[in-house]
Amino acid sequence: MKDPGSQSLLPFIRFLRSRDLPVSPADTLDALEVANLLGFSDRTQLRQGLGATLAKSASEEQIFADCFDTFFSCRSDLSNPTHEDPPTQAANTITEPLVELAKRQPEIAGLMSQPLLQALRMNDQNTLSLAIEEAALEVDLQHIKLFTQRGQYVRKILDALGESALRQAALELAENEPEAAAALNQYREELRLQVRERVERAYVIHASGDTENFMDEALSHMRLGSIDPHHYQRLRRLMARMVRKLAKRHGRRKRRTKRGQLNLSATLRRAVATDGIPFHPQWRQVNRRRPQILAICDVSGSVATYAKFLLMFIYAMQDLLPRTRSFAFSAQIGEVSDLLETLPIEKAIDQINRCYGGATDYAQALTEFCDSNLHEINSATTVVILGDARNNNGVFRWDLLSEIKARAQQLIWLNPEAKRAWGTGDSEMLRVIKHCHVATECNNLKQLERIVDKLLADSRRS
Amino acid sequence: MSNPIYPELQSVDRIADAFERDGYICSSRIATVVFLAAAMNKPILVEGPPGVGKTELAKTCAAVVNKPLVRLQCYEGLDEAKALYEWKYGKQLLYTQVLREQLGEVLGDSQGLRESMQKLHQFSDVFYSESFLEPRPLLRAMEYAEGSVLLIDEIDKADFEFESLLLEVLSDFQVSIPEIGTIEATSKPLVFLTSNDTRDLSDALKRRCLHLHIPYPTLELEARIIAARVPDLQRGLSEQLVGFVHALRELDLKKVPAISETIDWARALMLLNAQALDERLIHDTLNVLLKYEEDVSATEGQLHQLLRQVTFA
Repeated sequence: MKDPGSQSLLPFIRFLRSRDLPVSPADTLDALEVANLLGFSDRTQLRQGLGATLAKSASEEQIFADCFDTFFSCRSDLSNPTHEDPPTQAANTITEPLVELAKRQPEIAGLMSQPLLQALRMNDQNTLSLAIEEAALEVDLQHIKLFTQRGQYVRKILDALGESALRQAALELAENEPEAAAALNQYREELRLQVRERVERAYVIHASGDTENFMDEALSHMRLGSIDPHHYQRLRRLMARMVRKLAKRHGRRKRRTKRGQLNLSATLRRAVATDGIPFHPQWRQVNRRRPQILAICDVSGSVATYAKFLLMFIYAMQDLLPRTRSFAFSAQIGEVSDLLETLPIEKAIDQINRCYGGATDYAQALTEFCDSNLHEINSATTVVILGDARNNNGVFRWDLLSEIKARAQQLIWLNPEAKRAWGTGDSEMLRVIKHCHVATECNNLKQLERIVDKLLADSRRS
Repeated sequence: MSNPIYPELQSVDRIADAFERDGYICSSRIATVVFLAAAMNKPILVEGPPGVGKTELAKTCAAVVNKPLVRLQCYEGLDEAKALYEWKYGKQLLYTQVLREQLGEVLGDSQGLRESMQKLHQFSDVFYSESFLEPRPLLRAMEYAEGSVLLIDEIDKADFEFESLLLEVLSDFQVSIPEIGTIEATSKPLVFLTSNDTRDLSDALKRRCLHLHIPYPTLELEARIIAARVPDLQRGLSEQLVGFVHALRELDLKKVPAISETIDWARALMLLNAQALDERLIHDTLNVLLKYEEDVSATEGQLHQLLRQVTFA
């Protein structure tokens, strides 16, 4: 389909995708058909029609409407150029030194007859924006990717417009005819501004989404400990998106209790009342185990940030992991589930850090934990320990760790340190690996997502 | 370009007019989506809070195009046998009884089991043929030769599995029956699915539909709706009434009144022969608008203020 409709729709759809609106190829085809059916004459109607195929929920509709307005408002400048600025007297006055000069010098007269300068002189916005638009096409402005490319594209478009002749003339005139040069430079500046505006718009439409994605991608691979606080807002948004994704992936498990095998003896027993006719079939109830996660987090200085993000993540999945309990320790250990459930997460974490921060002592923490909670660990429990396994050269209660491993369905150790630092100095990590089902590095958002994904998959399978 | 089966839905403006004649005031958005649905043969997924006229839209559409409306109310546990088709077990049983007597004649003088079986194989599988098929709403909608309007109401109440079952019906307008084969719609029905947003529908289903979200109407639109539905109501009163309902929607209530409640209230006020809104009148009829006791008691304290807001506006 090579009609003007598809020409302008495809970039629009690319724009939508960059704004996180998932548009599939099939949706694109539908959108093209809609545009064909409705035509481009009625803007509102087209927006409503496209919205029906491209936006799939009320929130997406909002995004769609914003995108539509941004995208097509730029375009409308082109098709309905403003007639508000008729050639003004002021425009003519700056021309005069040039006109004077043109009478004397034939090459300046030639320059003056150039359509570009003509348009600038007459302030002919129609011709100008058309020319800029053509030049933009010529230099592939739609491929602009980065913020820093804007200057480059402005230059390219100016060159394509033939502005270099004006620059040259201005340079030559500068010595002998400063007035004429000044007038020429004023035109050049005007043109530059317009081109710059056009490039800015192109950047917003074609690239700002990419830059955002680039930032998001970079951030999710950056060590959580080294992310600047001013990125936290974005981090939280990223995390919210991951949570949504995971919730969608794991959310849809329906109850399957009432089905399954026929429980013959129970059925016969109930059939006694109805003279042996089995009116009420009894089913073997699928005995559902209730998965539980115990998260034990080191909140001593070096690991506190990571504990914060892990807890934030787990508590964001509260709907899917309803029986999660969390503990915090440095030396002394304590349950913090209540704090996390009642207070907003930031406040809760602050308070936890105040109560339990300090120097790490795994022996004391594990002993205290096992004293009060070991009996609760069973084959439906997943125990997650977050810590760097640096025990300040103290004793480590390996027996308790083994005990937990034996009882639990899974014992997962998350270490925010990079793998090559494991076992160096006072790190007990290499021995820890042997005492856990899974031991893994966990220091950025991507790894965190993978771990929570695994937790969800495991706990919901059982 | 437009759908020949539904000539009434040929253009957006005609749709808006036709719907209005039938007492359904639709925003241009609704009209556009209905037009597209007819032209592109795509189902419409209508979402929005309860009582904004989602089901009514399908009913009106059926009336406008003058085709039968087939309605499937979804609920938890709805399955194939209730939505698509079922075999007429009773009829099958009866026929076996009758046919048993014919069996001797059919088999005639064939000797031995093998020969008898071969003779029986020559007959087609009569018991699993269309004459023993009991069509349920989805299949029934496909069978109307002149086209129909299929309303799948409250799809979000049905199980997730049922959604998958719908996919074939909605994208290809056909039903596969293992014993018979594929039955295709002779003329494609107009399909409306409604959802109250109690759960997220699957992407596969959403992808096959045009999405239409109906929000609470604007003041102006709701006034027009009341005028169309309760034409005998005095104009001044109807303006006050709509304003009051809009003010109510601003409050923090458990269940905000929707259009259907506004219409009910307008009818109630008409029956009571009311001339203008006053505190006593509202107090007595508030239960038409609000369905929870806590909402009613929360609102009663603010009646005076709300009423002033409306009458001065």
